[in-house]
Amino acid sequence: MKYGLFEPRKIGEMAPATKVVLYTLLLAWSLFVIFPIYWLVITSFKTPAAVNEGPFFIPWVDFKPSLHAWRDLFVYDLADTMRAYFNSVVIAFSATVLSVFVGSLAAYSLSRIEFAPNLITILYFVLLLIGASVAIGVYGADLWLTLAIVVAMFFLLARAVGRLYSVRLKNGDILFWIISQRILAPIVVVVPIYMMFQSVRLLDTHLALILTYAVVNLPIVVWLMFDFFNSIPRDLEESAQLDGATMIMTFREVVMPLSRTGLAATTLLVMIFSWNEYLFALFISTSKAQTLPILVAAMNAGERGILWWTMSVAIIIMIIPVVALAVVLQKYISKGLLVGAVKG
Amino acid sequence: MSKLLKGTLLALSASLAPALASAEEYDGVVVNILTRPGPVIAQRIVERGEEFKEMTGAEIRVAEVPFAELFQKILTDWATGTKSIDVGVFASGWGVELVSGGLVENLDGYIEKDDKLNPDDIALYFREFNQKVEGSTYFITLDGDFQMLYYRTDVLAEAGLEPPRTWEEYLEVAAAIHGKDMNGDGEADYGSCIFKKRNAQSYFAVQSMAASRVQSKGTAEGLYFDTDTMKPKINNAAWKRAFEIYQETGKYGPADELNQDIGDTRGLVISGRCGLAIDWGDIGPLSIEEGSAIKDKIGAVMMPGSAEVLDTETGELVACNAEICPHAIDGVNFAPFAAFGGWTAAVSKASDDNVKAAAYDFLSYMNQAEQSNVDVTMGWTGYNPYRNSQLDSTDAWVKAGFSQESAENYLSAIKDSLNNPNMASDFRIPGAQQYTGVVLDREVARFLAGEVTVDQALANIEEGWEEITEDFGREEQASMYKLSLGITN
Amino acid sequence: MGRLFLTPAVVLILVFSIFPLIASLVMAFTRIRFTGGGFKVRYVAWRNFDKQFFGSEQFHLLGTFGPLSILAWVVGLAATLGLFWWLYRYCRTHFTVVGFIGRLITFAMALFLAWLFAATLLSGRQFGTVGTTLFYVVVGCGLQFLIGTALAFACSQHIRGSRAFRVIFFVPMMITPIGVGYIFRMLADTSKGPFANVWQWAGLGDWSWATDPWAARIFITIADSWQWIPFVFIMMLAGFESVSKDLNEAAEIDGAGKWMTFREIIWPQVLPIAATVMLIRVIEAFKIVDLPNIMTAGGPGIATESVSLQSYYAWRSLDLGSASAIAYILLFITVVICVSFFNLVVLARVRAKP
Repeated sequence: MKYGLFEPRKIGEMAPATKVVLYTLLLAWSLFVIFPIYWLVITSFKTPAAVNEGPFFIPWVDFKPSLHAWRDLFVYDLADTMRAYFNSVVIAFSATVLSVFVGSLAAYSLSRIEFAPNLITILYFVLLLIGASVAIGVYGADLWLTLAIVVAMFFLLARAVGRLYSVRLKNGDILFWIISQRILAPIVVVVPIYMMFQSVRLLDTHLALILTYAVVNLPIVVWLMFDFFNSIPRDLEESAQLDGATMIMTFREVVMPLSRTGLAATTLLVMIFSWNEYLFALFISTSKAQTLPILVAAMNAGERGILWWTMSVAIIIMIIPVVALAVVLQKYISKGLLVGAVKG
Repeated sequence: MSKLLKGTLLALSASLAPALASAEEYDGVVVNILTRPGPVIAQRIVERGEEFKEMTGAEIRVAEVPFAELFQKILTDWATGTKSIDVGVFASGWGVELVSGGLVENLDGYIEKDDKLNPDDIALYFREFNQKVEGSTYFITLDGDFQMLYYRTDVLAEAGLEPPRTWEEYLEVAAAIHGKDMNGDGEADYGSCIFKKRNAQSYFAVQSMAASRVQSKGTAEGLYFDTDTMKPKINNAAWKRAFEIYQETGKYGPADELNQDIGDTRGLVISGRCGLAIDWGDIGPLSIEEGSAIKDKIGAVMMPGSAEVLDTETGELVACNAEICPHAIDGVNFAPFAAFGGWTAAVSKASDDNVKAAAYDFLSYMNQAEQSNVDVTMGWTGYNPYRNSQLDSTDAWVKAGFSQESAENYLSAIKDSLNNPNMASDFRIPGAQQYTGVVLDREVARFLAGEVTVDQALANIEEGWEEITEDFGREEQASMYKLSLGITN
Repeated sequence: MGRLFLTPAVVLILVFSIFPLIASLVMAFTRIRFTGGGFKVRYVAWRNFDKQFFGSEQFHLLGTFGPLSILAWVVGLAATLGLFWWLYRYCRTHFTVVGFIGRLITFAMALFLAWLFAATLLSGRQFGTVGTTLFYVVVGCGLQFLIGTALAFACSQHIRGSRAFRVIFFVPMMITPIGVGYIFRMLADTSKGPFANVWQWAGLGDWSWATDPWAARIFITIADSWQWIPFVFIMMLAGFESVSKDLNEAAEIDGAGKWMTFREIIWPQVLPIAATVMLIRVIEAFKIVDLPNIMTAGGPGIATESVSLQSYYAWRSLDLGSASAIAYILLFITVVICVSFFNLVVLARVRAKP
């Protein structure tokens, strides 16, 4: 024996004992991850009696699998299921595209241009908005008239107020402000958002949910893409600009292709968040725009108990497309995320 | 003879005429109905809706949102004038808040013109209390809800016990049968199964236990407040005893009863693991479904009562006598609690006139004896009986799969409860959700979890209720409370 | 031209975040009732906040108060002294007005939380939703960070099947949070869940996690971790994989031990990612609402209720004023803690790097 059990054979490799321990841990963790999903899958094939009468683990061995729950969703309720599926796909996909597009633009400009907005002007704007909300909410002023006054007041006096006193913000502050939007619990903003969509007759439409999800996930996109763009070398862009390309062209022709990995990973994350969102969907949709998470929650039939079997089916059909997407994007996931942060 | 024939023909054509006329009338009309999801409640509306479309041309669209979100959804939709919902199907108790906001269509005019509804057949409590606010009908009952006591006939017979008549007896019986094997799987089963999960139905259970101690002078006495001052009648010996009984039933139940809602306990009852249980009417039809371990082994009686009731002057319990408990049966005061009040439908005032007319006709169609008497015998519909004609004959029930004996037993328990003049009404004033679903429910949960003593819990509820009453306005609440109990002066 | 790139994002955030935020601030000072013509709004000043901090809901938000135990005095005073020392040291070394005000806010929040902790839990009384939320954040995020990082490090080594592990480990994050809540409720059922027999066998047939406050909180933390460890895992994996291999091997050739290499070479390189990942997780963890709502509905008692859930329940009973007030309290606590963390930990580490 030239090597001990705990010594590596080669530089960069592991000792056999370390390997055994490592594999045991990874397999144990895989079990911990997989078991709940296994239970979910077999529950979807159980009859109500098989669920209620006690734990049964293996189909055909200790219970007879049944397709009744699948039939409930795909035969009797096919129209509802497909509508929710279609809504979820349309909403999650559009929201993701919108969010990644708008967020990347913002992140790119933040990483390349120095902004210096005046804090005092911003505070002035916020004060105007508070005044408007009080006027509308407590004194019942007309919504559109008040908003028009706010905008007019702002543009009339913004410069004057700005000259009065000036505290310049930096890009980092803007970035943090955008990120901090993620701190908001949805419950804080959901009621006003409901009323806002109500006033423009957009409740229960795809557009309302798409816009909401795009904004909710914007901070994540800006955050990740900002780091990513910072890590991309700027020589190429500079030479493109010397050749007379505009910023949009540079962004489209040079930066975007270089950012594929970052974009893929961010897209996946945002997609997962929008696909799974529940609270906003509950508020904004009533019937036409209902999404899959509502379908899952709907399987809790109140005093009739939880329909574990159909709920399992609903959860499973929700996971499948995301897993497929993740497998497709898998090679980007680990590479893409936060590459920038390491080097920055 | 020919005169009779002619008369019959005339009557026939008269009854057909509106149906034919409406077939043209409602062509292209869409009625949007919002209710809770799943086969329960909603599924039957969909099926009856298809029949209705064939008859009248009106399209019935049913949308569903999770149960806990249902009321806010309807209220916000109607209050903001979004108009995406024409009919809401929900607990009648919630509806008073909608009516007081002027959001619900008064149905008196429609009922007057309706010759098929036969409202006199609807059981007294539902007709006079549940469907009405300020003497006018605003709601159509689809499902009659009150809790009953269920017991395993085989288990009790074997132990030589009678079904309990009071809550004290309930505890004795539960103790005596707890730990026996009741479904033959060799495992010890439970003496009593009563859901105790927070934010679920536990506040209904505790009210069922309190009702017979608090209310003895008939439905109009009410469970919750002094009708004049709106002072809560909660911090007293009757409610205290109810809390204690509720906690004590936990000794004879499953270990994780604190996290079980009605679905969990119902599953246990159906699989034969509970000796005693309280539940709505659903257990009856469910017991004969496929997979049930308790077919023809389950009996039902009216919710247990009490031999002593609250003296509102002193806040103490006093023994029943003919004067104090005019409705007592053999010295025991019963007050079956109309928990939840049942699923009822209301029509939005803001909808277009022809939509409202179609909506009413559809609800009337669902409620008419011809349809509803079939629907209530099927467990999966979630509809429980509310018409006298549904209880008069056991035929439909036997046809559905009951044995003659268990059908009689089940129907007589329902009849006893429904016809009891001391039936206790659920909260039916604005803020009902806050009073019970939030404050009462939370304090019950804290008491069961051992976070507070019963005295603290009751004091907290009193404080919380007073706060809500102040927020909504004491005067308005007091008058609404009186109206909800049918007191008109 | 490039400045316009920022405009769509700012406009969207203004409309969908800032405006609702201000609107709900106004709501926090009112009572709202829905009626036929929309809704009636009544200004009630601080009543909604007063109720939470000093009134009938105090036990709910903050906890039950009473005389302090000796342990509570010791811990509370120690924390106070430590915080004063920290502030004093800052003033002595590099004082700026803005920095001082910021630290003063952090100081006040830490002092408040320390005494809250001392007065409720350490004195043997129940704590409210603020305490429960902090438990989820501190214990949950800590657990997720440790396990997620360990898994990521293991997967970044040269091992066979690492691709498969990656996909498997990532799956829980793709399940909708309410789904995760229901799955774990199924798993934890002591009479029909998969571990029912284990419970019986262990003699715990008469005991249920759902009736014990700490067991219930821990159980929710486990479910939360099951879902979010994948997030930490995938982010940290990216970090470990981008660590320079040359440096790593050079160190090993120089005879540095594994632990040494990890601490001196690898860790400093992934530290910025670790800080960002933690910040994202902490922000999300403060908002926890689906899991306790579904698994225990906040029970037993109020033991598992988070601030977000408390606000959700208030909203559900249409008490919009209280719902907004509670949400604002949560927002304030979260912002102070996250900004403190960002400025005092993340930026400090990043700046300290050469």
